[in-house]
Amino acid sequence: MFEVLSGGPQTTVQDLGRPGYLHTGMPPSGAFDSFSLRVANLLVGNNPGGRYLVGRDPGDAGLEVLLMGCRLRAATEHVIAVTGGDLDPTLNGQPLPMWQAIRVREGDEIAFRSPRSGVRAYLAIAGGIDVPPFLGSRATNVRAAVGGVEGRGLKTGDELRIGEPRKAASELEGRAWPAASRPAIVAPWTVRVVLGPQDHLFQPESVETFLTTDWKLSPISDRMGCRYIGPKLEFLPRPDYLVEQAGSDPSNIVDDGTPLGGIQVPSGLEPIVMGADVPSFGGYAKIATVISSDIGVVGQGKPGDIVRFRAVAAAEAEEIGLAQEALVQEGVRVSG
Amino acid sequence: MLYDHPIYRPLGDMFVDVEFGDELHLALNFRVIGLNLSLAEYPIPGVTETVPSNRALMIAYDSSVIRQKALIDALREREEEATKLRRAPSRLVTIPFWYNDPWSDECAKAHGAPNNMEYLAEINGTTIDGVIAAHSGTEWWVTSVGFQPGCYQALPLDPAFAITAPKYPRPRQWTPERILCLAGKITSFYPVRSPGGYQLLGRTPVDLYDPLQRNEVFRDSPVLPIAGERHRYVPIDAADYHEIRCQVEDGAYCYDIAEGEYSLDDYLARLEAVHVEAG
Repeated sequence: MFEVLSGGPQTTVQDLGRPGYLHTGMPPSGAFDSFSLRVANLLVGNNPGGRYLVGRDPGDAGLEVLLMGCRLRAATEHVIAVTGGDLDPTLNGQPLPMWQAIRVREGDEIAFRSPRSGVRAYLAIAGGIDVPPFLGSRATNVRAAVGGVEGRGLKTGDELRIGEPRKAASELEGRAWPAASRPAIVAPWTVRVVLGPQDHLFQPESVETFLTTDWKLSPISDRMGCRYIGPKLEFLPRPDYLVEQAGSDPSNIVDDGTPLGGIQVPSGLEPIVMGADVPSFGGYAKIATVISSDIGVVGQGKPGDIVRFRAVAAAEAEEIGLAQEALVQEGVRVSG
Repeated sequence: MLYDHPIYRPLGDMFVDVEFGDELHLALNFRVIGLNLSLAEYPIPGVTETVPSNRALMIAYDSSVIRQKALIDALREREEEATKLRRAPSRLVTIPFWYNDPWSDECAKAHGAPNNMEYLAEINGTTIDGVIAAHSGTEWWVTSVGFQPGCYQALPLDPAFAITAPKYPRPRQWTPERILCLAGKITSFYPVRSPGGYQLLGRTPVDLYDPLQRNEVFRDSPVLPIAGERHRYVPIDAADYHEIRCQVEDGAYCYDIAEGEYSLDDYLARLEAVHVEAG
């Protein structure tokens, strides 16, 4: 068991989410940087789950820790691993090595002190966090108030029950994820996108501007969407029936589906990349979609960080996504 | 515009959009529902889920099973089938509804707006009873479910339905849960307390979203509405409202759901008749 001494700005229980309910308006949720959570789970012998969103196995639940301030105390002995963004994690005040399995003992204190690179760290505990699943997943969706601990972020006094570890501590301790297979979690970020579904509604020069601008991440960003500050993007003129049906703003479209990673540009101002708690519809034109492998990169940006969007073809995006999946599968093979 | 052939648009490497047109029209939504039914009946391996919207079907797929290019080829073979769908299974859900309820009135006042039903009556040249008669006098076609869990959009199936509603100039910061609302000719629903800009019609005592899944109808999903079903809203008074609400909270309420089907041709024929009448 773990006791929560402080939840920080937002620490949530996350697995790989609850796909399969998009048609009801239920967001997928799950770890924003799903690759990092899967690696953390692998290191402690947990189930890393299937591919994010298109798989059906949410894997074991860990913690997604945002920024600084989260503090936890182990009430019993456990094996843990911390991956993702470097939030200067400590164990009893001493630096806690990331990307490897570590044994913690009763009374040990884990703290996340300040974001050095990235903003979201993932803490997996051998056995996984045992909270009641909702629609097959333990992922927290704070907006819909479902999943995790009472559908909310952790707060002081919460107690986290841990499941039965799959492997002995002695077998897990010291396992490390190779540095070459870790994502580069460092600004300035390059986020790869596939143009569309509505890039054709923008002025061609604005599509160019979108791909060549150094965008700055706005502080108004969360798990639902990350917003970027930069030049205004302009739209092509619309026929009258669309002005009437979709709305008077040139960015308005008749609502269609909004995918994870979709980039809406309301009024041409501040593109918003939709995150893990994405609403399933929207009435704003979407210039591009972030590719699956780079959703985690979006989730690691810190307000003020510079981001450049780079266009790739859908087929290339698939290759990149499959290569990332192959890394996880290699980890599964090695750790047995 | 309703396209002759759908346009296939990539949404990154996890989704594809099949877009049947760019406007709001039942005939267009019928094609969306048609393709969705086809994929439910004869699944394409690798397709993991589908999301019908007003005018497009968003399809999630696993690229380790099928590549986007092959998926689009497979979808093209379904095009004609979706376009030719004339009748669709469509259940009719009857929903008790307190038009012009006190919570809607309070919410409008709190945001500096007039009573929305009075406002709708005035700008549409009728009375509150006239708005209620029109809104409860037609069946509504649920084109899409989403934005947030349990939220949906519905179009009137009576082509003569003439009430229209502008959106609020400045969106409200909150709307009570279970409020039904109107913008343009679209009826929508606030399953939970949320911001919004549609005109408030009233409140239903019935849950259409229940994360606690208390009633049998929520056994498989916490969301009741599904795209392609029909709704009828039945006016009730304060006493009915409170009685039904108690039943809902006990999990004892019996939802009025009738299986059925709907014909696009019937709708198009009625639409034509209304146009001829209007000359």
